Amino acid sequence: MRPTHRLVAVMTAGALATGACSSGTNASGGSESLRIAAVATDRAGMEAVLKAFQAKNPGEKIITTYSDTEQYQGTLRTQLSSGTAPDVFFTWPGNGNPGAVEVLAPTGYLADLSGRSWTAQIPEGIKPLTQVGGKTYIVPMTFVGIGALYNKKAMDEIGAKPPTTWSELLAFCDAAKSKGKVAFALGNQTDWVTQLADYALIATTVYATDKDFDQRMKSGSATFAGSGWKTAMAKYLEMNKRGCFSKDPLGTSFETSVAQLAKGDAVADIQVTSVLNQAESQAPEGTEFGLFPVPATDNADETRMPGAAGAGFAQNAKAKNPELASKLIDFMATPEAMNLYAGATGTLPSIPNDQFKVDPALQPLVDFQKEGKTVPFMDQLWPNPKVQQAHFTGIQDLFADKADPDTVLQQMDQAYKEK
Amino acid sequence: MAQGFEGEVTQSAEPGRRRAKSSSAGSAGTVTRPGKRARPVLAWFLIPALALYAFVVLVPSARGAAFAFTDWDGLNPMRHFVGLANFRKMLEDEAARDALRQTLIIAVAITVVQNAVGLLLALGVHSRIKSRNVLRVLLFAPAVMTPVVTAALWKYILAPEGALNGLIAAIGPDSWQQNWLGDPTLALCSVVGIIIWQFAGYSMVIFLAGLQGIPQEVYEAASVDGASDWRRLRHIILPLLAPATTINLMLSIIGGLKLFDQVWVMTGGGPGTATETLSTLIYKNAFQFNEYAYSVALAIVLTVFVAVISGGQYRLLHRQGRAAR
Repeated sequence: MRPTHRLVAVMTAGALATGACSSGTNASGGSESLRIAAVATDRAGMEAVLKAFQAKNPGEKIITTYSDTEQYQGTLRTQLSSGTAPDVFFTWPGNGNPGAVEVLAPTGYLADLSGRSWTAQIPEGIKPLTQVGGKTYIVPMTFVGIGALYNKKAMDEIGAKPPTTWSELLAFCDAAKSKGKVAFALGNQTDWVTQLADYALIATTVYATDKDFDQRMKSGSATFAGSGWKTAMAKYLEMNKRGCFSKDPLGTSFETSVAQLAKGDAVADIQVTSVLNQAESQAPEGTEFGLFPVPATDNADETRMPGAAGAGFAQNAKAKNPELASKLIDFMATPEAMNLYAGATGTLPSIPNDQFKVDPALQPLVDFQKEGKTVPFMDQLWPNPKVQQAHFTGIQDLFADKADPDTVLQQMDQAYKEK
Repeated sequence: MAQGFEGEVTQSAEPGRRRAKSSSAGSAGTVTRPGKRARPVLAWFLIPALALYAFVVLVPSARGAAFAFTDWDGLNPMRHFVGLANFRKMLEDEAARDALRQTLIIAVAITVVQNAVGLLLALGVHSRIKSRNVLRVLLFAPAVMTPVVTAALWKYILAPEGALNGLIAAIGPDSWQQNWLGDPTLALCSVVGIIIWQFAGYSMVIFLAGLQGIPQEVYEAASVDGASDWRRLRHIILPLLAPATTINLMLSIIGGLKLFDQVWVMTGGGPGTATETLSTLIYKNAFQFNEYAYSVALAIVLTVFVAVISGGQYRLLHRQGRAAR
């Protein structure tokens, strides 16, 4: 092979390798392409929206890159600080993780979207999570909940009904165990999964009686250690002791836990509701799923459910193609785009509208939202990502008998005080 | 890795250079003069490569290291000089101490066991057993695979209801089944075991190359003298394998100290912090905790740590190797 041929071959291989990580549509003549980045879990939603957007804007070139959450957070931060970030990118509402709007907006990398007409339609419960310093920086796309997704066939096989009180929940665990099934699949090897059962219980043990807990935490008049968090952790451990969860949760990954639910080896799985699609795709044909809020007391009226804006999109303040980026952001705020996104990701549109057909499995989340019985995800209101990390590590230590709830909650209080 | 190979090249080239000098001295000074003149000229040819190396490695590394003396969070355009604050923080950071201890355990365990297994495998496939070529390929095959891929596969195999526990259930009592990656007391051993499984074949190949370099006459002379197998191994094979041993030990200790991918994929540093290494802690601080400057300080300490340990080890083994020859 001649050297020039070799060079061309290497360059071609390089171009192919680069292209393999992203998807592009419709090359246009000369104008700057629109670059978008999103997390892989929301790929189906973003692709549905982009297909509709492309149909309305033929001839525009759009390059989209998807990556796993951890990789996405690291890459996005590096791109923002080096001036190479995409024009429109996925951003988490609120705070508490490295790619959240409250972390990114103060640096000046996000465009101020406050002047857009759709900002007035954002529900009051979600609005604070889209704003920093009174200015709106993201378009919230979805409303997701955390509850127990259950396999209806497996539920019938153990002869149980979705529990509505704590005592019924323990009886449900016993019923599943007696029939050789796992009551709740639990993949605590995957760190972010560790928090979900805790959040589901805390919604009731903390927020049913103390709506202002987050404000009190901010002002320093409340602590994790002196709140209903301790009750929730004790109940989490009680469920583990009772045999409610998968065998060896610390050795079970998220993927394995979803597979257990899909196959019916586990009756339920306390998960983010957007996991419903993944469970459906792995389940045998005809499998039906349902959702129930996780009770934490014996008064069913007290039960609350974590529910919040799950995905948001921001516009780069220094977008290479600001006009098209603005156009896409505005399109994403329309009922058409929100419904496409929510439908493809198994979530609800963040701005409710009549045209959206709710998956019947998600009806309990809709009902709780209407009744005002949802509470924001806990980490979305924390001041830094270290609290969440202390929570992840703490839960794993609790399950490994290496710590007790008091120690874990004190570590979380300590992390909360840091910048 | 580079240090080990460069060292060996210098060492083996040394006698040759001496011979060249003595022969040229014997054949009048005219032979040496062009060499002396050529050296400065030849040095100019190094400039493009050195410039590229400086541009790609040295300058970015130095600029990156400077962040360790700031409070940069990896995102905010504003940053301030904080002196040695990040290094002082390290001394009080329990997570850093735990990660350092676990990193050392992993590095030592991998270095000792992987090389012992690699040597035994090399001795085995160096013998005249049938199908030794097939065995060599099979034993080396795991080393060819990407660590992330093998780690992902083992994560499934070692799951509570995975293939390993399934196999154990088929042949032994239930009590033999373990929570391989979920039990904090076992997780570190499991991770080390997987790495040894993957790279013992790599060490084997290097030892095998060393064994094949030992002249047959030496074995024959030992046989004539009536040396037992053990004495042959102790007094002939091991001393003559010194260069291969040096390279293997260097590679495995450096690999062990900067271990990231397998740990990240299999346990993410958990359960809790049971398998956290310095590399995973650096990643978490940089990209999950908004502590970029602190992560750079940790990375500098890791670099110095690797350089001191591997450099010291190299000098020691190099001296022992020369003494043996």
